Amino acid sequence: MNIGKTLFGAALLLFAASPAMAAEKVYVYNWTEYIPQAVIDDFTKETGIEVVYTTYDSNETMYAKVKLAQQDGYDVVVPSTYFVSKMSREGLLQALDHSQLPNAKALDAKMLDKPFDRGNVYSVPFMWGSTGIGVNAKEIDPATVTSWKDLWNPAYKGKVLLQDDLREVFHMALKLQGKSSNTTDPKEIEAAYGLLKELMPNVLLFNSDSPRLPYLAGEVSIGMIWNGEAWMAAEENEDIRYIYPKEGANLWVDSFVIPKSARNVKNGHAFINYMLKAEVAAQCVAQNGYATTVLAALPLLDEKVRTSPTIFPPPEIVAAGEFQLDVGDALATYQKYWELLRAGN
Amino acid sequence: MESKTRRVVIGLVASWLFVFGVLPILLLLGASLLTQDPQHFVRLPLSLEAYRQLAEPAYLQVMLRSLRLALVTVVLCLLVGYPFAWFTARLPAGWKTAILVLLMIPFWTNSLVRTYAIRTLLGTQGLLNKALLALGVIEAPLQLIYTDLAVVLGLFYLMLPFMILPLYANLDKFDYRLVEAARDLGAGFTRIFVTIVWPLSLPGVFAGCILVFVPTMGLFYVATLLGGARQLLVGNLIQQQFLNARNWPAGSATSVVLILLMALMLAAYHLLLRRAATARGPQ
Repeated sequence: MNIGKTLFGAALLLFAASPAMAAEKVYVYNWTEYIPQAVIDDFTKETGIEVVYTTYDSNETMYAKVKLAQQDGYDVVVPSTYFVSKMSREGLLQALDHSQLPNAKALDAKMLDKPFDRGNVYSVPFMWGSTGIGVNAKEIDPATVTSWKDLWNPAYKGKVLLQDDLREVFHMALKLQGKSSNTTDPKEIEAAYGLLKELMPNVLLFNSDSPRLPYLAGEVSIGMIWNGEAWMAAEENEDIRYIYPKEGANLWVDSFVIPKSARNVKNGHAFINYMLKAEVAAQCVAQNGYATTVLAALPLLDEKVRTSPTIFPPPEIVAAGEFQLDVGDALATYQKYWELLRAGN
Repeated sequence: MESKTRRVVIGLVASWLFVFGVLPILLLLGASLLTQDPQHFVRLPLSLEAYRQLAEPAYLQVMLRSLRLALVTVVLCLLVGYPFAWFTARLPAGWKTAILVLLMIPFWTNSLVRTYAIRTLLGTQGLLNKALLALGVIEAPLQLIYTDLAVVLGLFYLMLPFMILPLYANLDKFDYRLVEAARDLGAGFTRIFVTIVWPLSLPGVFAGCILVFVPTMGLFYVATLLGGARQLLVGNLIQQQFLNARNWPAGSATSVVLILLMALMLAAYHLLLRRAATARGPQ
């Protein structure tokens, strides 16, 4: 440990000694395929702040990294939905200085003041979306797919893609059984496991880093997908369709937060504020196909993007969907059945 | 003066091994004996709970599946690697070097990248399917990717050199006059192999098997990328325990079991070497 510190100290001295390294920085840790590179470059051009950008493909990975970095951590992180409450409860986040975030004034009220951060003390919502069903219209008639239950159709043996995310997968089964996807009742979780076990022969793969790729490669023709991934896939191949299951899609919202361990708090605020600019938010929507909270961005979008139900679902679909909440200790129960599900032969 | 340099070098190596070898293992062992804590990952009191969890059916199944897959990989590597090493060892010196270099070159590329490459080869619209379709051998693309076959193929490809190299090192020293003598005395191919070549090559066979067996169980990204992450291997389990379940004691305990398995096999290997040495007697 001491050797590490000494080496680190020596490295710091080296850095301090060279004037070229004195540039302002901001360490951003974000989901993969989320912010276009052009946006990041523009930010650096406009502010002179260099962006050190790293990505993750699950909240769990992000959480573990932030938790382990007691100091010199990331300046901006983008947890989903309930991870904000979990992280703030554990003292990992710092309260945002809203005076440094003038662009956060005109956000979509639907996504503000949520149970996971009342009053938006720690977080500003950036993009929101859903997990629904993706279908390749060349292989399967999209009109025949209306429910999560359709993934269980024996005709789709070895053809289905599931997200590599236990909460999302259990969401389907719990919704089909008329339960809340935030249940902490072990019996309900076990019953959902029973249903999912019947689905396993249909499952070809689990993928959460870029689920659209197996659809585009023709490897799966039906399965779960995020709306934004479905949007991006449809840009390349219009046969890929997105369907909101009638039991309700899984809804989530990704928010900007600043961890307690941040090094460059001011630059972190500057980055968040920049991302909430109307033109920038519009650029992000056009690329990644998720709905923005920045209402001022909507008029800037193409007609096709603005009116796409894949990106901006009608209100009744939002009402039918369910946001994920923290399930606390019940996560261990979910995890146990998740492992059993994938240990079978 | 020279002994001082020596002490410094040995000291450096020893502290390197301690900091990056012994210390992490001790930390792992410590964590495996603690209690899970959702806030701080681990806490007191000491407990064997993590090891008890390993006996649960889900874990046992994952363990058995990994063992089976690793065993299949070892057998495949041995079946291909043994003749490969034997014939390479019988080649003229220049050829030997050329073949060994060719064997090593893929290692200059990261194994994860090579796994992605296999994925593009085996994909539904991959090179292999396209070639077979164009040749008219098949009418619809074969489901090659995301199958157990793809996983085994990937593991076999990645691990084969680890079998060949120790086997080659052993067979290269093989005294070919023994075979000639046996042939003069009328022994057939099978008899020469079973009674002379195979027993003398056992240390190489063992070393190769160990080098292939244990890492195979940890190559979680092969199961994820080529097998579609549908079924877990021990490596996936460890990753999930640490990241998703945040159950550090269970993740550590699983790692400790893998390390113990490796240690046991190494011990067996040394025993075998010692027995072989005493059987031959002092020369």
